[in-house]
Amino acid sequence: MNEVERHILVIGGGIAGIQASLDLAEMGFYVHLVERLPSIGGKMAQLDKTFPTNDCAI
Amino acid sequence: MDVGRHPKIELLAYSEVEEVEGDLGAFEVTIRKKARYVDESKCTGCGACAEKCPTRVPDSYNEGLGERRAIYRYFAQGIPSVYTIDPNACRHIAWLRAREEGSNVKVKKCGICEKICQAKAIDYLQQDRIIQRKVDAIVLATGYEVMNPRDITEYGYGKVPNVITAIEFERLLSASGPTSGHLYRPSDFVGKRSIPDHLPHAKRLAFVQCVGSRDKRYSIHCSGFCCMHSIKEAIIAKEHDSEVEAWIFGMDIRAVGKGFEEYRLKAESMGIRFIRGRVAEITKGKKGLPVVWYEDTKTRRVQSEEFDIVILASACLPSKDASLLVEKLGVELDSFGFIKTRPFAPFDTTREGIFVCGCARGPADIPESVAQASSAAARVAQMVMRESRKAVAQ
Repeated sequence: MNEVERHILVIGGGIAGIQASLDLAEMGFYVHLVERLPSIGGKMAQLDKTFPTNDCAI
Repeated sequence: MDVGRHPKIELLAYSEVEEVEGDLGAFEVTIRKKARYVDESKCTGCGACAEKCPTRVPDSYNEGLGERRAIYRYFAQGIPSVYTIDPNACRHIAWLRAREEGSNVKVKKCGICEKICQAKAIDYLQQDRIIQRKVDAIVLATGYEVMNPRDITEYGYGKVPNVITAIEFERLLSASGPTSGHLYRPSDFVGKRSIPDHLPHAKRLAFVQCVGSRDKRYSIHCSGFCCMHSIKEAIIAKEHDSEVEAWIFGMDIRAVGKGFEEYRLKAESMGIRFIRGRVAEITKGKKGLPVVWYEDTKTRRVQSEEFDIVILASACLPSKDASLLVEKLGVELDSFGFIKTRPFAPFDTTREGIFVCGCARGPADIPESVAQASSAAARVAQMVMRESRKAVAQ
């Protein structure tokens, strides 16, 4: 495999965008994660606790 | 969250994609990095600025149930850990702009945060920056929009006090929320400068399912996750305070999957009541509290009950803002307005090199969104590597 650095753009910093970014980065891609709000986290960051373990969302 | 620290992730928060050109393997993306009026590289996130900022505005993170200052952090643990000035709320920016335009300056200048900031991070003249990035592929994880139940006039949202959405209720339950996790009726504190002492706790809660979902007038699809979040919210409220009485009104409870039905049974054993029936109307009762009118289909009677708070499980809808971007990208939407995919390529959009995961492609709960995101990442790797092998072979 050639060693050229591959770049991926992820649009949206909610739980899906964060997970996709981490996975891609772990695979060796360089990820650019764009989020329109001042911080990432999306809707999930607004949740108190999550099913099924009732653990904190953040 | 490791995203902020990962050496292979460039985090562009408070930014929007303006334009995308090119194809798989060679997209050129134009991104607008919106001005925070705070230098991200200098701000230490200490918060001294927000403590002294004189301007208060409704806090969007807390769904307007609380207040934040004009200089703010979206939420306390937010990443990146820097402050942002809301240019539509900040007095000083309004004053500077008015002065520049030469119009009548009606606002007083301020500049307090600049004086307070020891890191010298405040920059009222910061401009949006346009940056370019070359990428091989794109993942859309643009999420969804919670339906504003105001349109469903019979449910009285926005008119009858203490009728709120599920996401507002999440903020009420949260220790980091406007009430520090105390379950007060919104009518007792919203709009007040501080939360009054000795407020009564809300004891009677009604959860109304399928608000805008499975309703031909609004959206026909099932939003999927609302049955479970209402059960969860009822359980948490009861764990906070065992005197809480929670009623869940719905056509049926869709607890599909491993552990879900058990969770519903746990709720039942805790005394949470499930009423089979669609709520017809929510009115304001004599004490100013919401009254839920419904037909209990088991007893075939039309009944009404008064509650302290009514929580509407409003529908998961395609995001309007994201749809504008998606259409600009030349990606098609399905008949529901979510991003279109194919049954055997569930994370490929209609444009090669652009992928999708999470609620942007339809309602999904958190574990499903996570699984989809990992799948989409794997699919990206597959396509990009195939392209690069092709290039090497040529």
